[in-house]
Amino acid sequence: MTKLSSSLPKTFFGIFPLYIGVEIVLGVTLLNKCSGAFGILALFTGHPLDLMQWASYLWSVFTLVVYAQGLYQIHKPKLLTFSQIVVVFSIDTVLTCLFTLWFTGVWFAEESNTDAAMGTAASAVARLVKRGAEIDTQGATESYEYVFTIIITMVSLVFRLYFNFLLASFVQELLRHPQYLVDQDDIEQDLKNKFFLRRWWVVSQKSSYSICRHVLV
Amino acid sequence: MANLFRKWFLSQKPAGSDVADLQTSLDIKISLRKLRNYNPTKKEICHYGFLGSIMLFVFITNPAAWILKILFFSTLGLFFLIPLTSQFFFNALPIFTWLGLYFTSNYFPATVRPPITVKVLPAVETVLYGDNLSDILATSTNSFLDLLAWIPYGLFHFGAPFVVAAILFLFGPPTILQGYAFAFGYMNLIGVIMQNVFPAAPPWYKILYGLGSANYGMHGSPGGLARIDKLLHINLYTSAFSNSSVIFGAFPSLHSGCATMEALFFSYAFPFLRPLFIFYVCWLWWSTMYLTHHYFVDLMAGSVLSYVIFLYTKYNHLPLVDTSLFCRWSYSKVETYDKERSNPLNASLDDIENVPLSTMDTAIDLSLSGDERSISPSYIFDRNSNLSRSSATSNTSLDLQNEPFSPVPRLGTKRLD
Repeated sequence: MTKLSSSLPKTFFGIFPLYIGVEIVLGVTLLNKCSGAFGILALFTGHPLDLMQWASYLWSVFTLVVYAQGLYQIHKPKLLTFSQIVVVFSIDTVLTCLFTLWFTGVWFAEESNTDAAMGTAASAVARLVKRGAEIDTQGATESYEYVFTIIITMVSLVFRLYFNFLLASFVQELLRHPQYLVDQDDIEQDLKNKFFLRRWWVVSQKSSYSICRHVLV
Repeated sequence: MANLFRKWFLSQKPAGSDVADLQTSLDIKISLRKLRNYNPTKKEICHYGFLGSIMLFVFITNPAAWILKILFFSTLGLFFLIPLTSQFFFNALPIFTWLGLYFTSNYFPATVRPPITVKVLPAVETVLYGDNLSDILATSTNSFLDLLAWIPYGLFHFGAPFVVAAILFLFGPPTILQGYAFAFGYMNLIGVIMQNVFPAAPPWYKILYGLGSANYGMHGSPGGLARIDKLLHINLYTSAFSNSSVIFGAFPSLHSGCATMEALFFSYAFPFLRPLFIFYVCWLWWSTMYLTHHYFVDLMAGSVLSYVIFLYTKYNHLPLVDTSLFCRWSYSKVETYDKERSNPLNASLDDIENVPLSTMDTAIDLSLSGDERSISPSYIFDRNSNLSRSSATSNTSLDLQNEPFSPVPRLGTKRLD
């Protein structure tokens, strides 16, 4: 654990300060998490969704809220918020890998089912072409398509892992910095009289903070 | 007119300020003199070298008559040299480069183009986002939704860059338009390069032809916009998209990239309207998928490209915005970001909030007598109006007070609040 926490990246790509990296990480992840909101629109369009899709979309919307608060605070970060973000991001990384595996299976199962229908589509395409001899080589081959699918998927997962370490490094720096000592008075907060979601939110932030302090300091 | 302009825009102009003034001279000698004394930095050499080489490529490969090409580039060169036009045209160099490459893209011979992918985008979309979101949103269509989708995709998209530029120029700080032209031009230029290097079929292709192989002889399709042509009894989008310069340019979506860039710049200059700009981007995303022009992964690629280029521009070029000022002429000076001072992890020992607890505990002189003894530590720390109640002085810190803790404040650097 000590080895991990000491080998976290100290800059963004070795050039830019860590906070700019975090701003990019949160922004890019936030944009991607909007997929959840659009997926849920299936409720209104009548497109069927299975359980895994629902789980993925609802989780995306939840993480969207968590990451958004970090983007608003990036120049005046709060340790509790960023602890929650790094913990949720880490869980999100694991879940993303699992969802990716699951949906990869779904795609290839679907594709093998539609292979039969492709014969008619290909003949329709052949009727539309203008060029002569070269048209066969202008479309990508099966292996070319697979290679690019795998490359794009792998690159996005590798970036996700790097982003995870970058966030962890930022929180580690915050933990070491006297300016960001956590100052929260349970009595002043009066959590017992707050809405249960608010209560749960603060509890999750404190638990995340404890985890981060345990792992990163 | 001049009186109205003076009343609205120049009434708050600080005395003696010339940061917002524009060049009005037509004398080419001024530009030539500047050029002779110009010493480019390494960054500028890369910037002009990159754009220049693409311009040269466009000049050679564009199939227009040589005389027309020479005439066009000479006119552009003249606009760059006249100070009055140069201040706008030269800063828009990335935009001209993008447009040059975009309108030449149609003429690249099929033999040198990379193969068109048909399955990569729907596959990546399903793998990363659980399903084909364009399919989900285009499952059911009706005339009202068609019109709702057409407004941002078919109308606003083409006018918004000019409107945003004009508003930024008038109501943003001086030089923000330069930053916008840089970011907007580079985003589109990189986008078109990616579209040419990685040709990919949009969702309408899957609907029309399934996942069968594509070729460069095919015409483009207006997708859902064909319904708008039918609804309005026009043939605008069908003819335009059928003969598009980059038919298989689904990845990345420059509709999404442009909308995101516009929203980012507007959010930067007018932060109080940020929810409106976020709504616009989401609206355009929905319409893009509803009209079957892009997969969600294309939208993400466009938006991420915009976001990264915007952040680079923000920290390297953009002037700081003062939301209390009305327009560009209200500014007395132009300041840019200081990356080090903006770094929340940089802190100075001059700031009481950064002083380690152990130092502060011993810094209070216990030998104080009389009235001095009644001065509380919080008063000592908080009497400086710039400081908030310090977290370091509190004894309610979340179970940290008993921790062995050795903070290392960074020396010699200033914190920016």
